[in-house]
Amino acid sequence: MMDKLKKQLLGPSAESKQELLGKLVSYIAIIVIGGLVGTILVFLTIKGVALFNNDHFSLWQFLSGVNWQPSHHLYGALPMIAASFGVTVLAGMVALPLALVVALALTEMLSKKINQFCQPLIELLVGIPSVVYGYIGLTVVVPNLRQLFGGTGFGLLAAACVLFLMILPTMTSMTIDSLRAVPKQYRMASTGLGATRWQTIIRVIIPSARSDIFTAMVFGMSRAFGEALAVQMVVGNTTIMPKGLMDSAATLTSVITTGIGNTVMGTPSNNALWSLALILLIMSLAFNLLIRVVSRKGAR
Amino acid sequence: MKIALEVKNLQVLYGEKHVVHDINLKFPANQITALIGASGSGKSTVLRSLNRMNDDLATVQGTIDFHGININQPQVNVYRVRQQIGMVFQQPTPFPLSIYENVIYGLRLAGEKDKQVLSQRAEESLRQAALWDEVKDQLNESALALSGGQQQRLCIARTLAVRPEIILMDEPTSALDPVSTSQIEDTLVQLKEEFTIIMVTHNMQQASRAADWTAFMHQGNLIEFDKTATIFMNPREQKTADYLSGKFG
Amino acid sequence: MRPEKIDRIATIVILGLTGVVGLLIISLLVYILATGLPNISWHFLTSSAEAFKSEGGIRDQLFNSLYLVVITMIVSVPLALCAAIYLSEYAPANRLTSLLRLAIEVLSSLPSVVVGLFGYLVFVLKFGMDFSLLAGALALTILNLPILTRSCEDALQQVPYLQRQAGLGLGMSKWRIVTKIVLPAALPGIITGIILSAGRIFGEAAALIYTAGQSSPAIDYSDWNPFSPTSFLNPMRPAETLAVHIWKVNSEGLVPDARAVSNGSAAVLVITILLFNLLARYVGHLIKRRLVK
Repeated sequence: MMDKLKKQLLGPSAESKQELLGKLVSYIAIIVIGGLVGTILVFLTIKGVALFNNDHFSLWQFLSGVNWQPSHHLYGALPMIAASFGVTVLAGMVALPLALVVALALTEMLSKKINQFCQPLIELLVGIPSVVYGYIGLTVVVPNLRQLFGGTGFGLLAAACVLFLMILPTMTSMTIDSLRAVPKQYRMASTGLGATRWQTIIRVIIPSARSDIFTAMVFGMSRAFGEALAVQMVVGNTTIMPKGLMDSAATLTSVITTGIGNTVMGTPSNNALWSLALILLIMSLAFNLLIRVVSRKGAR
Repeated sequence: MKIALEVKNLQVLYGEKHVVHDINLKFPANQITALIGASGSGKSTVLRSLNRMNDDLATVQGTIDFHGININQPQVNVYRVRQQIGMVFQQPTPFPLSIYENVIYGLRLAGEKDKQVLSQRAEESLRQAALWDEVKDQLNESALALSGGQQQRLCIARTLAVRPEIILMDEPTSALDPVSTSQIEDTLVQLKEEFTIIMVTHNMQQASRAADWTAFMHQGNLIEFDKTATIFMNPREQKTADYLSGKFG
Repeated sequence: MRPEKIDRIATIVILGLTGVVGLLIISLLVYILATGLPNISWHFLTSSAEAFKSEGGIRDQLFNSLYLVVITMIVSVPLALCAAIYLSEYAPANRLTSLLRLAIEVLSSLPSVVVGLFGYLVFVLKFGMDFSLLAGALALTILNLPILTRSCEDALQQVPYLQRQAGLGLGMSKWRIVTKIVLPAALPGIITGIILSAGRIFGEAAALIYTAGQSSPAIDYSDWNPFSPTSFLNPMRPAETLAVHIWKVNSEGLVPDARAVSNGSAAVLVITILLFNLLARYVGHLIKRRLVK
């Protein structure tokens, strides 16, 4: 009897085999995902630095040059960098206050019925593919801008408008979540002290949701920065330094989209596109870092 | 006296924090032993270490001797240990299945397929847990429809059905009303004929009513272990006397 | 000014701006549907696209989009679910785990055009898949994995710890607890997550133009052999999706009725997304009902 028990306790059982299987399966899954991220980072970095290592183009000229003429071996990416940042900041600047205003109206002012109608609407808008936003830009925004300001209508302003439409629902939905997360007691305590609704909003609600609101803004802007097709459809795609908002321009993403199919893998003009992609990658990491820093501060 | 489980030099650490210091205890077979002490005295931690429920949460050092085998070793099959040393928790947690399926859950896992054996064992376990008469006509209904006290007795039956030698109970009645509590206490007294029971309780009356032996713990140390009557009437240590008279805890 | 007056002004401004934004958004949706719906006909949905003539349909693009979602889900659901199980049940609280979580977050923040480039380089060129459904599905998997992993993990975490503890006390292995107790309880949440993420990848285009390709060769819907080159099931054929079609028709298309085709396609995309959302909501209601019971 003793030996039997000993054998039982020390030997494997159906359960211990199951556990081994479970560990194996889930460890493999997480290793695949971790490995995938590592591979993506390594590959994009290797391809991204090829222009500087293999083709000996100077990093400084790449970042500060204003001439992008692959046929003349000139790869100045500054116009695209500037255009990408320009449209992102422009879209974000307009979208943030409006997202905040709509979120405040829905969470603090409007009735439950209206909320029940708006919630699915916002979810739908968040889910609408960016290509559709780009197409609206092409058929509505561009003709209207042409009428208002003359010129072709294609350009930075059109791209910023499209991005604004695209990120507004996402930012609004995230801002609503952050305002809903503010405890009810705060509102009651503030009203109980005789504060008006506006005073409560500005002194209590917004400050306590501040870091989440900021996260929503950064998240929206990082989406805008990385958006390719919607921008490519309306920005005009000329790789020169834009001088005004109505000027045609090209962003990092739009140059990559149009260029990859027209260049041969491994040539300097193709490598230059990968270097642009590396900038995109670094920027998305930077946005990510920013969100982490902000939310860590908020948690404190 | 036969010993069901012996603990030697048991130490438990949560990271750097030392929560149980050098405990030595012999749990007598076919008896009820109660672990008492204030919150944070380490009594639940000791209990959960006995069938390795602390494996993921803490570092457990020392020997836990079960029939001459130290079960606190990595090469020991923890699932078999827990089939021999079962556990009932504070909150009744029936699975979202029928009453019958709940009782035979552990048996099914152990590979028992014979329908006759399963239904026989289900009845036996429900009778031992004093629940049979109340549920025999609704075995196929959801276990979630039972009252809290019934759910807890169902969980006891579920543990009994696996035929463990020892049953660990972590404050089994603290979430229940007084009537259910006394029903469960009566059940425990019946059960000790076949099983060894070790329980943690906050309730001093419960320990004095149900337990044969009582161990008093304070700040991670075992202060005193003796027959329940001796501990309550005639404690050797001043700390025990203070705790029992309600000076702290 | 008195606080009451400021409050009233602020309320008016906020509600006014909200009204303007709401009007803008609603007119946008109405515009998409109003210009698109007249172009949607049985003929439009069931005939193949034309390269130079008008009157082309979107049958193949629509099928490709749906088929691509299915292949992507076949690859990504098991992976994401198992990774979520690791994170929720097995992951120790240490540096490696937080590094893995960081990696998943990084993955979710990658622009889809970058993912498309990576897919082009690795799946299309290095693995020799050429422009194919499979290469597209793998690229979409990269986009889908982080969202799906997170929603699966959330769904698993919703199941109370007490249930797991009860299983452990009975001598069950963690894996058995997960598969027998936790997963069934978390299933509605997981399904909602899958449907929502399916909606997202259904409309994806940037990651596909250089992986699944921009062309849609003739396919045969009566050929059920997935290895036959003309079969509609063949995962190695290039496949233009609906979202890519809209982009393609507008940026380099030669069809005379590009507007009509894109209007119709955009409306179909939006309606499909709406259906996905409604389905996810319906499943969400099922969870609530189950919790109440």
